[in-house]
Amino acid sequence: MADTAGRGAAIVRLENIVKRFGGAEALSGASLTVERGSVHGLVGQNGAGKSTLIKLIAGLHRADEGTVEIDGKVYDRLTPHLAEELGIHFIHQDRLLVPTFTVGEALFLGRELRFPGTPFLDRAAMRRRSAEILERYFGLALPHSALIADLSAAEKQIVQITRALIASPKVLVFDEPTAALVRREADLLFQLIRRLSAEGVTILYISHYLGEIVDLCDTVTVLRNGRDVATLPVAGTSAAEIGALMVNRDIGELYPKPDVAPGEVVLEVENLALAGRFDAVSFTLRRGEVLGLTGLVGSGAKEVVRTLFGLDRPTGGTVSVKGEAVFSADPAAATDRRLALVPEDRRRDGVALDLSVTENTTLASLGRFSRGLIDRGAERRQTEDLVKRLQIKTDGVDALVKTLSGGNQQKVAIAKWLSRQSEIYLLDEPTVGVDIAAKVEIYRLIGELAERGAAVLVLSSDIEELLGVTDRLLVFFRGRVTRQFISSETSPDQVLADVTGAYETLRHAG
Amino acid sequence: MATTALSSFTRGVARYALVAALAAVFALFAALAPGFLSGANLLSVLVNNFALLAIVAIAMTFAVSAGGIDLSVGTAVDFASFAFVSLVLAGQPIALAALGGLAGGALVGVFNAVLIAGIGISPFLATLGTLFVGRSAQQLLTNGGNPVYLPPAGVPEAFRFLGHGTVAGIPVPLLVTALVVAGAWLVLSHTRFGRVTLAAGIQASVVRYSGLRLSRITALTYVLVSTIAAVVGLILTSTVTVYIPSSGNAFLLNAIGATFIGTTFDPHGRPNVPGTVLGVLLLGVVANGLLLSGLNFYWQQVGTGLLIFSVLAIGFANRKAAARA
Repeated sequence: MADTAGRGAAIVRLENIVKRFGGAEALSGASLTVERGSVHGLVGQNGAGKSTLIKLIAGLHRADEGTVEIDGKVYDRLTPHLAEELGIHFIHQDRLLVPTFTVGEALFLGRELRFPGTPFLDRAAMRRRSAEILERYFGLALPHSALIADLSAAEKQIVQITRALIASPKVLVFDEPTAALVRREADLLFQLIRRLSAEGVTILYISHYLGEIVDLCDTVTVLRNGRDVATLPVAGTSAAEIGALMVNRDIGELYPKPDVAPGEVVLEVENLALAGRFDAVSFTLRRGEVLGLTGLVGSGAKEVVRTLFGLDRPTGGTVSVKGEAVFSADPAAATDRRLALVPEDRRRDGVALDLSVTENTTLASLGRFSRGLIDRGAERRQTEDLVKRLQIKTDGVDALVKTLSGGNQQKVAIAKWLSRQSEIYLLDEPTVGVDIAAKVEIYRLIGELAERGAAVLVLSSDIEELLGVTDRLLVFFRGRVTRQFISSETSPDQVLADVTGAYETLRHAG
Repeated sequence: MATTALSSFTRGVARYALVAALAAVFALFAALAPGFLSGANLLSVLVNNFALLAIVAIAMTFAVSAGGIDLSVGTAVDFASFAFVSLVLAGQPIALAALGGLAGGALVGVFNAVLIAGIGISPFLATLGTLFVGRSAQQLLTNGGNPVYLPPAGVPEAFRFLGHGTVAGIPVPLLVTALVVAGAWLVLSHTRFGRVTLAAGIQASVVRYSGLRLSRITALTYVLVSTIAAVVGLILTSTVTVYIPSSGNAFLLNAIGATFIGTTFDPHGRPNVPGTVLGVLLLGVVANGLLLSGLNFYWQQVGTGLLIFSVLAIGFANRKAAARA
């Protein structure tokens, strides 16, 4: 990052802000200091006060107590217009853009370029200016006359950022910018943010993806219950530590891993192979044990999990469940052997969104509830028990699963297998897309499964999470298990080196 | 509190739009169409406009529940009819001939099952293909589509029982329909098979990932659809003592219409047996009422179409309102 003049001084400073809505306090003494030229992360659970704080900076709310200071000057009556004049611009995925406007109209809305001294719009100048910025920062051309409604989420965001850049901003505020983006688009956004930062633009970045914060930011402020509970330099902290601050728990509590003495071997994999995907994969899994699998996309880890559940047919090797060899590639046979898969694509494969909580929970275990006809009372009681045990937040067991939050949908996907009385759980990215509080509950649930004598296999690309919840960890690289770790005796950095193949490369070089 | 009451009220309205529509057309024809309310006419509505269509529509309800459709229900009716008549003509006992008829219809379902569950062709295209193949097959079997008559003298009384008999004063076709309706309702809403079929129709991939054999369930569904439709082939043949090639297709559009009208009866818009029955009643009452009002056949079709539009629109709009509340 380039050293910019005046770097280090506060460009935005909020002090002891109190903001009430009716009787409720959204902010109760929150402070935030964003230094000029920094990339500052702001995190907090839903309801922590992030958006209220942002709206104060944007001039959309006014503080009941406390001060808002921009560039060293206190503003009592900040308005959205004034905030823009001071050089603060906001990127929010569904704000500001009128769908029926063209790209050109949206870019210059409210600050159209005119022929000097006339009221007439200088369309050519506007076109030049936007094309120049689009080319410079994004290396692409967006048709000036395309309708906003016809753009993809990523393109809409580009329009928003371009709109802000036209005004030569001092501070850019990104509010959950990656929520609607696919991975590749998000990576492009991160590149852009780094470049803007290098050019001296101050960035305030709000996200609940802690990994993004750690990758991108210099400093992070954690909000909890309307207060800032910590502001830390990102170097020297970790996503887990930030997460623990957000939910006010120690890291130990974030990963509530019970101590379970492993029981007998229930799953034995020997030299398992699937041509072109993975080869010579061997491991065992015991009752009460939580085994982690990790690797890059295409490393074979995910394919191993699919094969174990019978979704793919292996081309070599053996799988034994409780000492009995398994031959059929058939999920029905796998579930009969008490295997359970909680798939990564929860909304497609894990739960049926238009079926009720009950119908989803008992889908894999209807045999338990029917002798000819389904005993709806028994089915309901079982579901109510599981809803209580897993603390699933739902508007009753008859509510459709699509009305539940991501974390609660995931719990229903797990409840389905608890109802099936499964004993070997294969969890594929179990915490993808759920908020931090639900993540902790899912971690607790994994621990509870192990305590009750289940064998659990967790596949995740979140290494910190894996080290927190597992006993052992297998790293996959190019279709093979390249390294095994005892989870409590290693560090994320060490694991990451193997995940990316650095260890392999070294070994071959040496 | 108020919003809860309101949303349950709108859900109620969505649910009963169909009943209200039925009551409204009934009242309308009672007032306008001469002779509509007479006992004889109402019985004729049930026997002629309701019974057979209801069975085909119930069959269709299973296909739609599974997330598909069966355009070849008429083919199953025809094949059952052809097999039944042929076996009777060959001098087989009536009971055996009837079983053969059911098997003939079920064969159409087996064919569909192979195409849909085995090869993976979409139900719409697969059953459309079966419809065409079935029509040609019947023409080949009957020298280009000649009806197969049973000689009036040679028809045993037992043969006519299904179509013309009564038990305790109730026409047999109505009794069979009642049995099919009750059985289908139990299977679809109260058995494992019904639940899994519904789940497969809503989100097939979850069924597979739940360790259930999706293709087996799909195959079974299409065989069941054709077997239910085959019952109509038996009753129809018994009523008219003739097999007319490709005559079963007359039920197809009304069966689809009744099934989708019926979905408005479910709070979540799912296909369901009681809704389908109400849908068939609605279509039957309208057809009969318009006939008695002296409107010509083509206007009857327009009336039926308009009715389907309005019931579906009301049901859909109310469900949307309920979802917003």
